[in-house]
Amino acid sequence: MDALAIEDVRKSFGGVQALQGITFSVAPQEIVGVIGPNGSGKSTLFNVLTGALKPDSGRVLLNGKDITRWPAYRIARSGLGRTFQIPALFENMTVLENLLTASVEHNWDGVHERASAVIELLELQRVAAEPARSLSGGQQRLLELGRVLMREPDLVLLDEVAAGVHPNLRKLMLDVIRAKREAGTTFLVIEHDMELTGEICDRIIVMDAGEVVAKGTFEEISSDAHVMEAYLGVSVE
Amino acid sequence: MSAPIRRRKTSSLIVLGIVALALLTMPFWAGSYNLRLATNVLLWVGLALSWNVVCGYAGYISFGHIAFFGIGAYVTAILMQPGVGWNFFATLPVGAVVAAVIALAVGFPTLRLRGAYFAIATWAMAEGVRELATVASITGGSGGLVLPVKSDDTFFYWCMLAATAGAYLVCFLLLERSRFGYKVKAVRDNEPAARAQGINANLVKNQAFILSAVIPAVLGGINAYWITFINPDSSLNTILTDQLVVMVLVGGLGHIWGPVIGGTVLYLAQQQFVVLFGDSTAYIVLVGALVVLVVLFLPDGLVSLLPGSRRLNLIRRFIRPRATTTTGSS
Repeated sequence: MDALAIEDVRKSFGGVQALQGITFSVAPQEIVGVIGPNGSGKSTLFNVLTGALKPDSGRVLLNGKDITRWPAYRIARSGLGRTFQIPALFENMTVLENLLTASVEHNWDGVHERASAVIELLELQRVAAEPARSLSGGQQRLLELGRVLMREPDLVLLDEVAAGVHPNLRKLMLDVIRAKREAGTTFLVIEHDMELTGEICDRIIVMDAGEVVAKGTFEEISSDAHVMEAYLGVSVE
Repeated sequence: MSAPIRRRKTSSLIVLGIVALALLTMPFWAGSYNLRLATNVLLWVGLALSWNVVCGYAGYISFGHIAFFGIGAYVTAILMQPGVGWNFFATLPVGAVVAAVIALAVGFPTLRLRGAYFAIATWAMAEGVRELATVASITGGSGGLVLPVKSDDTFFYWCMLAATAGAYLVCFLLLERSRFGYKVKAVRDNEPAARAQGINANLVKNQAFILSAVIPAVLGGINAYWITFINPDSSLNTILTDQLVVMVLVGGLGHIWGPVIGGTVLYLAQQQFVVLFGDSTAYIVLVGALVVLVVLFLPDGLVSLLPGSRRLNLIRRFIRPRATTTTGSS
C-alpha cells in the first residue's frame, strides 16, 4: 500500500487553475522531491494534502485511508507531519515548549525525555529555554523539523526546509532525514535547491503551472525537455 | 534547576505564603472598611483573570465580557426572589452554566474567524443582554431586582476569596501546568501551525472562552447577593469591561500574575483618587496615561518588572496582523 496516493486533485482560485489534475503516489520509506518554478502549485499541493485547503475534486489517500476534505488537525493526527515554507513557530513559547506542544495530541508518555533527545540531536541545547522568536532563521527551521520528530508521523511534508540554512545545519538536517527514513518515515520534499534534491531524493516530481510535467530519478529529470523548458524557459529539441 | 531559578522560586513561594496568610487572616485584623475594600479587590482580580484567559491566552479580544458578570448576577437575583427562594450557593452553578451556554452560542460561529469579528460579536452580545435586562419583566426591567439582605461582610469576603482563589488556581493549573495550556497558547501564537500538530483549534478556543465566561458569572452572583440590588447600569455596563481591559494591560497581558497585579493596583488607585479628589475623573486621566505608558515602555505590563518574567509583547502583537494562512509563493 502506498504511504500517499494523490488522484486527479484539482484546485482553483477564481479563474486561476492552481492544480490541474495532479496524480502521483509515494511508497513507504521513499523520499520524493517536488520541484518546479514559483507559482507552479507546489505549496498549494502541500496545503491540500495537509487539509489547510480543500480540493475542488480528486482524492488524497494516506496509508490507504481517504483523507480528502478532512480538517487539518485530523489529518495531522492520522500520521502526517509538515514544515512550513515560512517557519511557523509558536513564537512566545520556548524551544522546549514548542517541542512539547507538538506532542500534546499524540504520545505524552516520556515527552520531556524525548524533547531533550530532539534538542540534543538538533544541537539546540544553548537556546532550549529561549523563546522561538529569538532564534536565527536556520535554528527556526531546525525547530520546525524538531516538532515533526516529536510526533513521529508516518509521512512528513518538508517545504523548503533547508532554505537559507547554514551548510553545517543543512548537513545536520539531511542526516536526520536520512536516519528517520531508515526508521520507516516517508518524505515528500519541496525544494528549490537542486543539489539537495539530488542528494536525498529517490524520485522527483516536476510541476509547472499546476500540472505534473515530469517524473523520474534526478538523472532522468536533469535531461528532461519539459524540465528544461519549465526552469530555463527554452524549448529543447 | 539553576541556582538563580531556584532562588527566584523560593522567593516567589515566600511572597505567595505571606499574601495567602494575610488573605486568610484578614477578617480577624482588618476593619470593616478594609475588608470591603479587599472584597472588591478580589472581585476585580477575578474578573481581570477571566478576561486574561480569552485575550491573553487565547488571543481574542472580548469587548462584552461584563455580560457574563451580569448574567451571573441576574441568575442569582432571580433564583433568590421571594417565591423562588433558592439557596444562594445553589444559584452560582446555574449562573455559570447559563454563561457557558451563551459563551458557546457566541463563540461557536465567531471564534472561527480572525480579526474584529469576535470583538464586535461580544460587544453586541453585551448590549443585547443589557437591552433584554432593561425590558424583561423577570429581570425587573430598568428598575432592577432587590435581593434578600445579608449584612455580613465577612461572609462575602470569604465567598469572594474562595471564588477568586479558585479561579486563579484553575487558570494556573489549566493554562500553565497542563496540555490544555500548551494548546491554547499554540493556537494564539500560530493557528495553522497548531492545527498541523493535530490541535483542534476551534474546540480549544471555545473551551478557553467558556472558561473565561464561567468565572465572571460566579463572581457576579456573589456580588449581587453582597450589594443586594442590581440593575442593568450596575451589572451590565460595558464600561466595566473597559476597566477589565485596562487592568489586564497594565498588569501584564498573557501572564498569570498580570491580572492579579493590575486589578489590585488599579482598584486601590481608583479608591485613593476618590478619597483625594472626591470623584474618579482624575482616575480616568491616570488610566489613559497608564495605557499609553504601558504600550510604549512596558508592553508586558507591571509584571515585567518582576525578575525572571517572560517577554510576550502581546499588546504590540494585537496591533499587527498575525498568521492566518499557510500558502506560500511556490
